[in-house]
Amino acid sequence: MQKIVLQLVYCVAMRIVLRLFVGVRIKRATFLLHEKQFIIVANHNSHLDTMAIMASMPRQLIANVKPVAAMDHFGKTPLKTRLSNFFVNTLLIQRKRDKENPENDPIHSMIKALDQGYSLILFPEGTRGEAEVEQPLKPGVGLVLSQRPLVKYVPVYMKGMGKAMPKNDNLIVPHNATVVYGNPTAIASLEVRDIVNQVEQSLHSLRDAL
Amino acid sequence: MDKLLRLDLFEKPDLLIAIGSIYAILIFASLLFFIVGLIKPKANLAELKQRTKSWWVMATLFVGTTMFNSNISYVAIGMLSFVAFRELYSMLGFRFSDRRGVFWAFLSIPAQYYLAYIGWYGAFIIFIPVVMFLFLPLRLVLKGDTVGIVKSIGLLQWILMLTVFGLSHMAYLLSLPELPGFTNGGRGLLLFLVFLTEINDVMQFTWGKLLGKHKIVPKVSPNKTWEGFVGGLVSTSAIGYFLAFLTPLSGIQTLLLSFFLAISGFAGDIVMSSIKRDIGVKDTGSSIPGHGGILDRLDSLSYTAPVFFHIVYYLAY
Repeated sequence: MQKIVLQLVYCVAMRIVLRLFVGVRIKRATFLLHEKQFIIVANHNSHLDTMAIMASMPRQLIANVKPVAAMDHFGKTPLKTRLSNFFVNTLLIQRKRDKENPENDPIHSMIKALDQGYSLILFPEGTRGEAEVEQPLKPGVGLVLSQRPLVKYVPVYMKGMGKAMPKNDNLIVPHNATVVYGNPTAIASLEVRDIVNQVEQSLHSLRDAL
Repeated sequence: MDKLLRLDLFEKPDLLIAIGSIYAILIFASLLFFIVGLIKPKANLAELKQRTKSWWVMATLFVGTTMFNSNISYVAIGMLSFVAFRELYSMLGFRFSDRRGVFWAFLSIPAQYYLAYIGWYGAFIIFIPVVMFLFLPLRLVLKGDTVGIVKSIGLLQWILMLTVFGLSHMAYLLSLPELPGFTNGGRGLLLFLVFLTEINDVMQFTWGKLLGKHKIVPKVSPNKTWEGFVGGLVSTSAIGYFLAFLTPLSGIQTLLLSFFLAISGFAGDIVMSSIKRDIGVKDTGSSIPGHGGILDRLDSLSYTAPVFFHIVYYLAY
């Protein structure tokens, strides 16, 4: 049931809305079909980021990809939690680490989801920043990848989303935007710091190619 | 319901002849590039072929949305305005505090096309130049951010005029009252306008490539030459003269009309070029393969549409 809803919402409705009205240029990321499992790492400026990445997913994958989102924002109330989990297929995590209770630990929940076979969408910048301003990456992506080194990461760079729907204004004003995918990449080192740097490099090279 | 399902295109030989000749030209161009490609495999025709392919798509979209059902045409032309507005606005860079004003400017697009649809000429002609002109600065001012507001006020109105007010004249052509003895109506005029504007672009490009030597405005657009401009002017006027049957005007009037159309098409083209030069981009986007963005194709039309409309309106209505 949820799979059909997700397919209708993202592969049909969201694609039309984003392309026609918001002005996002999306290409379908069909190459992801060849990957068994992946973590999409993207820059983050807008709620539309998740929508655009989900809308570019191939239909077959959509139910298998979980956007990682902050519990304190998308899980404020039980209703909000259920809505996010159903309509956005989110994996809600705490922002802060909690090593004593693995159930609440964000790194642990992400690894658990990977072990269950899900792919993830991760915004390592954390919260949405100001439009077109990059923030330093948080180490979470490195921690997860260093523990599951066989999973590849896919860098995604988005431009213009923060102009269409920025952080402090929930009114969507159409603005041309682009989503570009990089190639699935394996990590080159098991060091958390190195992984974060590698991911940052990949994002920068996508940005510079735009 | 009658207006919704009007399939009388096949009873209008004039329109059919014009549409037929559009496709004849397209077939000719495609064949030409195909044969030249066979004879001279080294010639670099990739871009020309790509462009021709896009012309096929654009011509078919245009004929499909404007020639059969006029209700769809208003929506389609309005959509075109919307995409052009969005493209230009995204390119030019506005402040965060302009968002509400820009949103209202977006809302004025359906309003303007609705006025065209109901054929209320007085309101149609003042809505953007007067109503929005007075309202939008107010909306920007109410936000309270005055740093850089002059640029935003000026730009927003200018973008609206170019992409919405200008282009909406194409839609109003379809709302013009019927003239006795002129059966092609708005569709004939619209076909004439769009066909001639695009032919003018192609002719200026072709003559410029063949003979071009003396540049007109080298700092703005190095590809624009006097040879191309004059060649385009002459060919467009001649073609316009032979297409006079699509309009309610006499032959000599149509000749003059085509002459002004060619000049304004050129003007629109270089105005858009200068903006691209200022921002430092080659194309306004990449939505039409081989051509660039929507605006790279609409630049001349945004100038020819109002010029054409008002000349015809003055002479015939």
